[in-house]
Amino acid sequence: MSEIAIEAAGLRRTYRSRIGWFRPQRREVEAVRGVDLTVGNGELFGLLGPNGAGKTTTIKLLNTLLIPTAGTARICGYDVVRQTREVRRRIGYVFGGDRGLYDRLSARDNLRYFAELYGVPGREQKRRIAELLELVRLDGREHERVEGYSRGMRQRLHIARGLLHRPRVLFLDEPSIGVDPVAARELRQTVADLAAAGTTVLLTTHYMAEADELCDRIAVIAGGLIQALGTPAELRHHADGRRVLEVEAYGVNDARLSAIHTLPGVRQAGLEVVGAAQVLTVQSDAGIDVQADVLRELAGVRLGRVTARQPTLEDAYVAIVNRVEQRSAAEAVPV
Amino acid sequence: MRTLRLIAVGALLHAKHQSRSSLEITIALILPVVQATLAVHLFRAGAEPDRLLEAAVGAGLMGIWSSVLFGSGGAIQNQRWLGMLEMIMLAPRPPALVILPITLATALTGTYAMVATLLWGRLLHGIPLTFADPLAFAVAVPGCIIGLGMFGLLLASTFVLMRNANALTNTLEYPIWLVSGMLVPITVLPGWTGPIAAVLPTTWGARAVREAATGSGPVWPSLGVCLAISLGCLVLGALMMTHVERRARAAATLALA
Amino acid sequence: MMDLFRLVGTGGVIAYRALFNWATPAMFVGTLLVGPLFQLLFFAYLGRQLQVADDRFYIVGNAVLAASLACVFGGTMAVSNERRFGTLGHVLLSPRSRTAVFLGRVLPYAGNGLLIAVSTLTAASLLLGLRIPLSALPGLLLILAVAALSCGFFGLALGAVGLRLRDVWLVSNVAVALLLLLTGVNVPATDLPTGMRVAGQLLPITHAAEAARRLAAGDSLAVAAIPLAAEAAVALAYALLAATLLKLFEAESRRHASLDTL
Repeated sequence: MSEIAIEAAGLRRTYRSRIGWFRPQRREVEAVRGVDLTVGNGELFGLLGPNGAGKTTTIKLLNTLLIPTAGTARICGYDVVRQTREVRRRIGYVFGGDRGLYDRLSARDNLRYFAELYGVPGREQKRRIAELLELVRLDGREHERVEGYSRGMRQRLHIARGLLHRPRVLFLDEPSIGVDPVAARELRQTVADLAAAGTTVLLTTHYMAEADELCDRIAVIAGGLIQALGTPAELRHHADGRRVLEVEAYGVNDARLSAIHTLPGVRQAGLEVVGAAQVLTVQSDAGIDVQADVLRELAGVRLGRVTARQPTLEDAYVAIVNRVEQRSAAEAVPV
Repeated sequence: MRTLRLIAVGALLHAKHQSRSSLEITIALILPVVQATLAVHLFRAGAEPDRLLEAAVGAGLMGIWSSVLFGSGGAIQNQRWLGMLEMIMLAPRPPALVILPITLATALTGTYAMVATLLWGRLLHGIPLTFADPLAFAVAVPGCIIGLGMFGLLLASTFVLMRNANALTNTLEYPIWLVSGMLVPITVLPGWTGPIAAVLPTTWGARAVREAATGSGPVWPSLGVCLAISLGCLVLGALMMTHVERRARAAATLALA
Repeated sequence: MMDLFRLVGTGGVIAYRALFNWATPAMFVGTLLVGPLFQLLFFAYLGRQLQVADDRFYIVGNAVLAASLACVFGGTMAVSNERRFGTLGHVLLSPRSRTAVFLGRVLPYAGNGLLIAVSTLTAASLLLGLRIPLSALPGLLLILAVAALSCGFFGLALGAVGLRLRDVWLVSNVAVALLLLLTGVNVPATDLPTGMRVAGQLLPITHAAEAARRLAAGDSLAVAAIPLAAEAAVALAYALLAATLLKLFEAESRRHASLDTL
């Protein structure tokens, strides 16, 4: 048994699309542009990145749904292109959202069907299905049609479905999308339990707290490339040498935000709406105190709490992703 | 054994899923009854007023073909729209084994049409359901359904490769009814349609069912030819399915997006 | 008045392009041109086999019926797709006459149906060797146009009824099947039970098919004029029904502030 569950080398994937039937136009998009990664057995590995960064494409290259344009990948030592069936026997795939289940069938029927498809032996099926229904707390409601389920229930059923054949490697693609906070916490607990029991998990998410809490290691992916890789603690170093100022405000406009951007020492400024208020987050060089300058730019705006703090994983993530965006913006400027 | 169970359980669960769509079921029940009414009045108006059982059985067969044509021809597209295609193709099985239960299910739900037209014939027109060979009828109908389900796999894999499959599906309902002689064997057709009819499993399946119902000939040879051709279609369809799956993974067309 | 015409005309054409789901060339040729031709051949050969009626009966009748698929579905789409795309509220709230807007929607579908009927008639006559007197052609064209229009209004009325139902396509599918059965296109009306024959009299196509057959058989337009007038009356009745239903539902939804759920 190999110590490595997932290994990818130089994975690339280009999408070609054709638009229009009359004089069709061809377009090519490079979604993944050379990804290398290795995930050990039993590891809980996070893939983090903004929308369109290449997370889902990477997962689909690893789980045999897509054939790479270039590069190779192995799951438990089996090649994803040539030994497809061996790979599929060993993997489970769960994605977020409410699709991917037969709505007009009950949870039980859905599981029975997939148990057959995944080759769970007949004798074992009943026990396995009951066990999983209990694990995802759907026991008692397994005879209801899935169309009446809430988002969280569907998501849990998805997980049960992905685990039917006891996969060694589980791909979770944004499993907590659209799930309420309580359900999301339960979901995290389930995932942590699985990893503790020895299942290798590759998780994509854009909830930072989820990644921080769960993952042994995290890769930040943006622009189709892995931009940073390490434990959550290691990734935090990407924001080293910075400090963060958070200002609660009411009525900051774009003009003021860009003015703050250009202040000396400011590396990054962002605005988020939280309830009725806005939260302005300013990252600056640790050596320079920008608080006074920022507050001056906000003169006339009603302000709430002002806090200065150490950078979190989220700040590190923002720093990494912004670096990529600035670089690609710079590349896009015509010379 | 495990493969057989996968096919059986898969087909039953897919049939269950399809049966719970009220729109599809209503259409699947009403249209054949309209066709059967049409057939009965045509037979009465024409030279064959005493062949009403044939009208009911024939209209039922037409319904089975419609179900297979629209269900199997669009099987892969339907699964894609349901968001299920990736999920089922990810199973560690040959792709043909994943799709076959679906096409079998479309033939299975086609039996609603047969049940509907027979009941309608009995209750409304008082057509006595006296089959020449009830046992053979009870075997020929399921046999025909299995045959058409296997033929469906070839349809599914061919249609998914065509960009305009929907348009083709819409045109193929009447010609197959006509050429296969589903309602009644058409002896007045041009000669060149003969060879086409001879290679279509629908021709032989319909013939076997009619022979069992009316005693117009030996059932087993027709049913045998139907199943043999269907098996050929199944093999061809399975080979194409493997090609289709590979192509879809390369072209990224498994997902909805 | 001119303004109203423009609204009916161009407004209709734009909506047609936006809402017509078959608007690809393959779909159009396959579903709307080849499909009806095969349907015609099916019944023509069935008729020959069972010796029910001659080729002229089937070719002319089914050619008139060929217009119905595009027109009935088109008329239904004209209303129901507005709902599906969430634009129904906007259309109903526009200050123009809603009746004119919706009746105008039918025109392009009817034109389309006419095209299909003509091409089906031409192709089938060539394939099966039916000769239609040259002098009958202008009259036939008129009859087909009236039939297409009456199917379109029938479809619009179904679309309006569909606003009150969960699935409008069920209604139009069943309606198209019933046209096949009740209009006397495939079973001579004299061979149908009284109830079915009477139902057929109230549907589009029935009278037009009758008129077209008379012309194709060499009768004068004066003879065909009686059933043609009946078809026109059916068309008018469905147009009025559609307009009334739409007005009714509009008023009702305004009262209940339920435009969105309409």
